[in-house]
Amino acid sequence: MIASIVDTDALLQVIWVSLIAGVGVPACYALAILGANRALEFGRNGRSVEAVAFGVVGVLGLAVVVASIVFGIVTLVDD
Amino acid sequence: MGSEIIVVIVVATALIFDFTNGFHDTANVVATSISTRAMPPRIAVGYAAVLNFVGAFISLAVAATVAQDVVEIEPNSIGLLAVFAGLVGAIAWNLITWYFGLPSSSSHALIGGMVGAVFVAEGADAIFFEEGILGKVMIPALVAPLLAFLVGGLAILFLYRIVGRLRPGPVTSGFRFGQVISGGLLALAHGTNDAQKTMGVITLALVANGTIATDDFHVPDWVVVSSGAAIALGTYVGGWRIIKTMGSRIHKMDSAQGFAAQGAGATVILAASHVGFPLSTTHTITGAVIGSGAAKRLSAVRWGVAGNIVVAWILTLPMAALFGALTYLVTRLFGTGAVGPIVVSTACLVAAVMLYTRRSQQAGVPPGVPPAVDRA
Repeated sequence: MIASIVDTDALLQVIWVSLIAGVGVPACYALAILGANRALEFGRNGRSVEAVAFGVVGVLGLAVVVASIVFGIVTLVDD
Repeated sequence: MGSEIIVVIVVATALIFDFTNGFHDTANVVATSISTRAMPPRIAVGYAAVLNFVGAFISLAVAATVAQDVVEIEPNSIGLLAVFAGLVGAIAWNLITWYFGLPSSSSHALIGGMVGAVFVAEGADAIFFEEGILGKVMIPALVAPLLAFLVGGLAILFLYRIVGRLRPGPVTSGFRFGQVISGGLLALAHGTNDAQKTMGVITLALVANGTIATDDFHVPDWVVVSSGAAIALGTYVGGWRIIKTMGSRIHKMDSAQGFAAQGAGATVILAASHVGFPLSTTHTITGAVIGSGAAKRLSAVRWGVAGNIVVAWILTLPMAALFGALTYLVTRLFGTGAVGPIVVSTACLVAAVMLYTRRSQQAGVPPGVPPAVDRA
């Protein structure tokens, strides 16, 4: 009965989008913080390879966050 | 001429409702940023107001749901009066919960007020109870806070897992900066979902007046701009008293929790707006705040306060419906012309000013001035 009343596809879309974006994007931002902090620490200790590797993690994390936000807003506006 | 006056009063009342919505809900949007000191209160509120306004332009799916799928309004003066009465019922409930410092749901108040007024005016057949109220309002409204609770909880677990071994200072700074983004998205989401409800109601009034044909549904540009402006102004003026409840009385949060809670709230509301669900942004954000606290430590959440909030949620729909129905009956005492709306709206305006003045005097600060949290 409930399934016939509720737009199940729309509700499921809300659930999976929220789970992926609401958990994934903050996690990527946390990776950006991790990458930036570790890159600075290793850079200060003269370990340039590790510093670069963590720097890449940080930049990628931030890039995913920015791309996700832009994608989300464009999707909403284009609707 | 009489119906044109009623339309003007309905539009003005809808925009006042939108203002009270922003006024009432601003705390939900900015409380986490303020309590974690990610942003000073005045800047947080101004920032939220601007993004509320921008958010109003993002989508119209929720406006379509409110205007077409909840109640059926006949294009006559009775329908117009019902829309007016529903709005006044919602405003009355919003003001009462604000006065007593209870977080409530402006969305449920609006839906409840409309349903109560239309039920009395047009009968039960004019209410789309199953597919409309149940399918597009109540079930999504039940799912959203639970989903936000889950997303907020999972997010904070991931965040602590990722940054748990780092020095706290840089991590806190990083998440405080992140809260500028997540807080902005939350304000955008709030503007998107809540401003559209007002757009839907104004459009409903225009349909009742015959200005918009029932088979040519569209939201005029002036409705979008005025609704966005009203909610942004309400947000700016702010609900400083409720900020205390939402920001620190539920649980003390760190910047990572604030970031997780705002991100969870924003994603759930934006996703729901995309498919046209008129969510309670209050319920959703509170679910996310509690989820981010409970995932860290169950005892960190002040469940008594959370319980009070739940009671207010449960009361909102029936009480707003009751207020909407009573307002309709009082308005009809003056006939079907413009006299009833003029008398009722004037009386409500006077009552609202009295409540606001009294509340401000009790708080010991003049209207519009932030409380001690701003000066701490």
